[in-house]
Amino acid sequence: MNSDEEYSLVYDDDDDDNDSLDFYEALPATEFAINISKSRSHLSQSSEFDIEEDPLSNDDMAESMLDVHVSASAKRALTEGSVPDLKYECLTTEDIFHRMLKRVDHLQPIFSIPHEDILLLMQLYDWNEERLLEDWTEKMDILLEESGIHVSHNSNGIEGNDKNGNIRGVKFQESFNCIICCEEKSTETFSLECGHEYCIDCYRHYIKDKLNKGNVITCMDCSLALKNDDIDKIMGHQSSNKLMSSSIKSFIQKHNNNYKWCPYTDCKCIIHLKDTSSFAEYLRVHCSPFVSCKSSHRFCFSCGFEIHSPADCDITTTWIKKAKKESENLNWVLSHTKECPKCSVNIEKNGGCNHMACSSCKYEFCWICSGDWKPHGSNFYQCTMYNNEDSKSKTSVEDTSKTLKRYTFYYRMFNEHEASAKLDWQLGQTVENKVKHLQEKIGVSWIEGQFLTESLRALNEGRTALKWSFAIAFYSDPSHNLTKIFVDNQMLLSNSVEDLSELLQIKNPEKIMNKKTDFYNKAGYVTNRTLALIQCGRDLLRKGICKPTN
Amino acid sequence: MSRAKRIMKEMQAVKDDPAANINLEFVSESDIHHLKGSFLGPPETPYQGGRFIVDIEVPMEYPFKPPKMKFDTKVYHPNISSVTGAICLDILKNAWSPVITLKSALISLQALLQSPEPNDPQDAEVAQHYLRDRESFNKTATLWTTLYAEGGEEVANPNVDEAALYGIDPTVVQEFVAQGFEKTKIVEVFRRMGLKNLDMNDNETVNKVVEELLR
Repeated sequence: MNSDEEYSLVYDDDDDDNDSLDFYEALPATEFAINISKSRSHLSQSSEFDIEEDPLSNDDMAESMLDVHVSASAKRALTEGSVPDLKYECLTTEDIFHRMLKRVDHLQPIFSIPHEDILLLMQLYDWNEERLLEDWTEKMDILLEESGIHVSHNSNGIEGNDKNGNIRGVKFQESFNCIICCEEKSTETFSLECGHEYCIDCYRHYIKDKLNKGNVITCMDCSLALKNDDIDKIMGHQSSNKLMSSSIKSFIQKHNNNYKWCPYTDCKCIIHLKDTSSFAEYLRVHCSPFVSCKSSHRFCFSCGFEIHSPADCDITTTWIKKAKKESENLNWVLSHTKECPKCSVNIEKNGGCNHMACSSCKYEFCWICSGDWKPHGSNFYQCTMYNNEDSKSKTSVEDTSKTLKRYTFYYRMFNEHEASAKLDWQLGQTVENKVKHLQEKIGVSWIEGQFLTESLRALNEGRTALKWSFAIAFYSDPSHNLTKIFVDNQMLLSNSVEDLSELLQIKNPEKIMNKKTDFYNKAGYVTNRTLALIQCGRDLLRKGICKPTN
Repeated sequence: MSRAKRIMKEMQAVKDDPAANINLEFVSESDIHHLKGSFLGPPETPYQGGRFIVDIEVPMEYPFKPPKMKFDTKVYHPNISSVTGAICLDILKNAWSPVITLKSALISLQALLQSPEPNDPQDAEVAQHYLRDRESFNKTATLWTTLYAEGGEEVANPNVDEAALYGIDPTVVQEFVAQGFEKTKIVEVFRRMGLKNLDMNDNETVNKVVEELLR
């Protein structure tokens, strides 16, 4: 589909899959917004669009974008993949601990034993309240012994001492012979009611390691459990918190169906899926459950990767695995510098935009295809299309190298956009600073500066979708009509993203306010194109045109 | 330095209790963290009459981390590797507690010989043998004890029948030898297939064995 003067995406009736293909066609953005909300309510609605789209010059686009409005819910539904059914919350370990304490409070009237003891029981039962209650009613006494709350009758506790009342806690002994370290010294000692007494140094040694394991710590010689209070007494102020947080960690690991750590480095957030029963259903309807933590890190709850729409989890994991396998071969090819196609000077890309200008010969070219930039600017962008026709005539001997070449192409595209996304993020930091600067210098209000943040967000989402769309494209049947449409959509998004990216390379911040509408228009267009691409990718997956292969 | 003190004290405790028949000594005077321990095979088991030598490595964090133990003597037992002598015992792993001593650990090993736990095996082949045919297992274990644990030193005995060593019915092996297969190979195939005995009329299995032998 090359562009003459007109660029048209016409759907013909002969195609077998043309029901509900309405919403990912290259609609003008204005109609698109309405269509999204419509299609959500009538998913099976089958209508036909015959749209002709002019190769929009920037000005045209800006005009048509002026009255774009995408309904917030439709937007969220597509970008985050969340329907009202996916109920989740973002927690910290402290939150979880407080909840645990609450549950303990709740159980206290039933058990009528101290809170700490209930905490021990719950830990032993992995917070499975029902199982605990069942066992509690059946064999309370055994349970209390097993869990190390009460001294076990058949334990090898020091006989007779029981009646004298071994005092739980730290004591000072003038001359104590510790059987662990075999030292005789005057020292503090610790023992539980069982009377197994050891010097405090040995106890500290013993506990230190166990704090990271998260299991209930018992006396060194019997099953009597140390409570948090004891641990604090031995190890010093609030050391038991460490035990509790490791305990919570193992709790999350054991319940990883509905608890997940945010995969971002150093992020301490935990996502808790509230309703697991509808989760399978949710997965069936939507590809991936995207969630967002308090620090607005967004990721996929199922596979733990970043937002990977339009790809689903299968494609994502297969792609990542493949990338890992192949990257060793490819890395050297995809080094971060490129030679200027004209003067061969080495160029490092330090901004997100793919419109490059050689600093030495001033030649303008596209970073992705190394071709002249001129055709990119006004015409539709061809860089995203891998040209299959090229290799058609070649012999089967070259087949393997063809697949590798094909993969290399897609992988490179993926990488380029990832690198760009990173640079965009850095750019984002500078832009934030500039916004602050604006606020101070020209007295622009915070709310007025928001268009920059908004644009950045749109850019980011667009780039991520674009990036993952190459994984989809790689696994899709290239001969299918829908794949072709997908590639067209890719191109449109790619174009709009590059446009916006370029706009964000703010050269003179003073004039930025004049360009505000420009920002709004372009960001809005990127958002719409992103949605269209995601929707189209979803259909590729649903219809089985895109399948992960190894 | 509590580790050195404790090891010395444990040595003394072993010496003070000759009735336990447990031996503990340093491999070399210069290194107190490498020891050899030994104990007698428990009576009324296939291990009776043998003295089993255990290699002991005491880690830096001892007694807060368990000592590393493995059998030097070859033992035919579900929880002990017949090849490396590695031991599968909870108190040497996560159930370790600082109150356990080298002596009590060795006693635990003795108890392990007494009561194997085939459901948590270290050596799957041996464990299967134990579960399927106790009598044959006992025979093999006794043979191993006589061969490896009684002399105190491991001698490669050329007269030992390879088949008997792994509890495989010698008559069946003989049948295959008569067919012209090498004995070592036959034993290897039987072990690989987990077979100890074979009915020569069971054509299906016989064919499978021959197939393996011809590979």
